[in-house]
Amino acid sequence: MSTPERGIPRTSRPEGIFDPMTLPSNDNVNAYTFCVELKGSQWFLQKGKMIAYYGQIDFNGIGHGRFERLIRTSFHSPLHASDWVVAEGSGKMLLADRAFEVNSFDLEDGNLTIRSGNLLAYQPTLALKQSIVPGFLTLIGTGKFVAASNGPVVFMEPPLRVDPQALVGWADCPSPCHHYDHGYMTGVMGGLRSLTGIGGTSGEEHQFEFVGAGTVLLQSTEVLMPEQATGAVPHEPGVPGGGPGGGQHGSTPRMPGQLGDLQRRFGL
Amino acid sequence: MFRLQGSKTLAVDLTGDAVKAKNGSMVAYDGRMAFKKMSGGGDGLRGMVTRRLTGEQMVMMEVKGQGTCYFADRASEISLVSLHGETLYVEASNLLATDAGLRTGTSFTGLRGGASGNGLFTTTVEGTGQAAIMSDGSAVVLRVTPQYPLNVDPGAYIAHQGSLQQHFQSGVNFRTLMGEGSGESFQIRFEGDGLVYVQPSERNTVGGDV
Repeated sequence: MSTPERGIPRTSRPEGIFDPMTLPSNDNVNAYTFCVELKGSQWFLQKGKMIAYYGQIDFNGIGHGRFERLIRTSFHSPLHASDWVVAEGSGKMLLADRAFEVNSFDLEDGNLTIRSGNLLAYQPTLALKQSIVPGFLTLIGTGKFVAASNGPVVFMEPPLRVDPQALVGWADCPSPCHHYDHGYMTGVMGGLRSLTGIGGTSGEEHQFEFVGAGTVLLQSTEVLMPEQATGAVPHEPGVPGGGPGGGQHGSTPRMPGQLGDLQRRFGL
Repeated sequence: MFRLQGSKTLAVDLTGDAVKAKNGSMVAYDGRMAFKKMSGGGDGLRGMVTRRLTGEQMVMMEVKGQGTCYFADRASEISLVSLHGETLYVEASNLLATDAGLRTGTSFTGLRGGASGNGLFTTTVEGTGQAAIMSDGSAVVLRVTPQYPLNVDPGAYIAHQGSLQQHFQSGVNFRTLMGEGSGESFQIRFEGDGLVYVQPSERNTVGGDV
């Protein structure tokens, strides 16, 4: 670490002192804290991410009857309803999450999909929907949202393969898919190796692949935010993650002597 | 004589005088230093008994010598506080170092302490000099004036100074019990004149999930 400031006494507080006048409006206070200004407006907020506020702000659960119209236009994820609250009133509030870095992003008539644990807050001009990819949320529309990441967010352009743990989200990319290294997939030996780890695994045989036009957001560590249990999507045929057997071939009855998933895994 | 070396290391220049620091927080020094453990946080016998009784335990050491001593603790971010005769209220776990001339003690915080997960008592630092406090992520210093009271999440509170009244607010209602809570049901409201230090992270608190 370079120490250019050595010898210069820095007796003042590193970040200065803030009051309602000097706090930024809808901007970062420091790398870990974001300030939202409410002027009679509303913001959606993930539960427990508010650390302090000035002014008159009310926090109410999503199920609050008064919000019915707001929810109808901006919140389409019943599974996550218990994790979100609506902040309304006037004043300035500070958001932070486990000392992770927070950043705001602007969407202009766009769409962005993000890991559900990383999204802290968004403006109701955006609509929140559950992504088809389990554990991810999609924001559609125009407005600002705040996201947390472990380390700064890196923006990448597809075509690109990323490590699953480093993926924060993606914008405008229509094709997130799994990618397995080919040699690792084929044959009985490949299957055995992946099941037992015998024969050596690098831990990087599986990636997410993105192609097409858009932007992929990565965090610079592989530390994940703990995933919150959000329940399951409706049990319907054709819904990934839903239905019996987690969307697998549940309709084919397994015959005696067949190995089922294991058999398919080994390509028999 | 307190200065920050980066944001996570405190450097203290000593010229024969002393500084009180959290036990075991020294990471390096140059010059000649003597380290002495201070029983019971250095508050004397009465303070020692009080600390034992209140659970606001703080193990401090006295560092004396000539040269520069560096302190750090679990890569926490450090903020410097200058005191001019006023009192700083800080959780014992967030206090890294103080000038030897500052007096430390214990005070009752009431319900607020219980909700912030730090017990019912807090540590006071008073006198004239400097203190260094630690936070998980850079602390934000917020000014409270009579026109602008401040509400703080108990889990993010680390310290305050000045003449502030604190009220514990609870927004628990029937919706909370129905599982429709706002997640922000418990708050500390600060009124008066002073500064409040919050960290961008929440400790696990009793009321955290309500």
